[in-house]
Amino acid sequence: MSTRWLFAAVLLAAACGTTPDERPKTFEAVTFEVLAPHCGQVQCHSTFTATDGKEFDTLEGARAALQDLGVHSNPDMRGSTGELVLLLEGAPGYERMPPDVPLAQEDRELLLSWIVDENAAGL
Amino acid sequence: MRALIVGLILLVSTRLAYAYPQFQLSHDATCTGCHISPDGGVLLDENGLGVAESESWQGHDAAFLYGLLGTPDWLQLGGELRGAAGLTYPRALDSAVYPMQGEVEGRAKAGAFSIYANAGFRRPNVNQSVAHVIWSREHYVMWQQKPGENEGLYVRAGRFMPTFGLRLAEHIVYTQKYGGRPLYYEAYGVGVSYVTDKAEVHATGFASDRIASAAEHGDGGALYGEMRIGTNAAVGIEGKYSKADDDTRTYAGVTGKLFLPAAELLLLGEAQLVRQEITAGAGDTRNALVAYVMASRPLPSNLLLDIGLGHYTQDTRVKGLLRDCIDANLHWFFDSHIELLLTTRLERLNFGQSGGGYALAQLHVRL
Repeated sequence: MSTRWLFAAVLLAAACGTTPDERPKTFEAVTFEVLAPHCGQVQCHSTFTATDGKEFDTLEGARAALQDLGVHSNPDMRGSTGELVLLLEGAPGYERMPPDVPLAQEDRELLLSWIVDENAAGL
Repeated sequence: MRALIVGLILLVSTRLAYAYPQFQLSHDATCTGCHISPDGGVLLDENGLGVAESESWQGHDAAFLYGLLGTPDWLQLGGELRGAAGLTYPRALDSAVYPMQGEVEGRAKAGAFSIYANAGFRRPNVNQSVAHVIWSREHYVMWQQKPGENEGLYVRAGRFMPTFGLRLAEHIVYTQKYGGRPLYYEAYGVGVSYVTDKAEVHATGFASDRIASAAEHGDGGALYGEMRIGTNAAVGIEGKYSKADDDTRTYAGVTGKLFLPAAELLLLGEAQLVRQEITAGAGDTRNALVAYVMASRPLPSNLLLDIGLGHYTQDTRVKGLLRDCIDANLHWFFDSHIELLLTTRLERLNFGQSGGGYALAQLHVRL
């Protein structure tokens, strides 16, 4: 395969997308589109390995793991992020997650928007 | 403690006993030129043992345990041990030490039929029983149309990795990690392969392992076809479909391989379009693009250098949601059983938003 074509494909891919983020702010979307690809890799928080007992590669596992981290909805319709933000940001006393490469800003915003603005609907 | 945690979590650098596509075209046209399995990996055939000996610094008998434990013709034994240590760069340089693979394997044959199985260890899972740590990643029965030859029809039934893509040893290669062939995605299935020097095609139907807390949650099929163009080039197409309870994933891609004899340079490339349809709740559909190119060249003193570039667009709807990496791996084949590998990666999000990297030394012992 021509390297030139691949390079062009990469540039094309980089140009893809729209602003603002139009992904749905639902439990299913944040699980399968954010948590599973980056936290639920097979060697980390997956059904297969379940590091620290947490699984993010299925809806059932992600629901339990998020609740375990203190994520929940509130009567005032503003969800609580629990320890999730502390882990994502690597706050003092917390190992930043994911440990290799942090979540992209767009993914962090989607996740937090689902919790806070959507009151963690579906959790 | 932090290093240990990072090390354990970063079991990411696990490599399994898959093939070295870096040797295809530069040595043999097909994976079956060196391997018993129709899509490469694990046990070597007689030619593969010869290559392992000739490509290493010290040579030595490439047979199981250096030939110290003789086995009858119908039985072949093997195994893989791997471990690594080095530095990771999540926020600041940190150290990591971890085991990666410990497996033994065996194959018994009778005429056109053979049975293959491996057994080894995997990480404990607090949500599973103690027995979880011991498992068999692959075990299958195979029928081969032309026993003793490296072409023809192969039929497998059992637990194995559906044939898909370039099948590099490093599972963190983007097209494997984010594409259709992630680590531990072996499943129960039936596979049919037809291999010749000119072309090969592999079709697999699979079902997720409902017993051994499998990584693959879906049922589906995979197809990989590759056609050689002359003796120094090949192109391939691939497709995979996996339907799980809450989502469906479809992968479509192409591969390319080009060997430049004068420069002893092998170029490998793969690109995939990944479509994930969430069927639970309100649903959603995500399209992702993932690509990897690698240049591989032998160096003096039995060294082999790989330089790889990876790209992953996580969701084509979201501008800037992408990551890229550059890998540099230096293999040193000490003898026919021992490989030392220095593997490095620099990875960035959205052209520099943030990122990470690592430099790890790996020891690989083929029993």
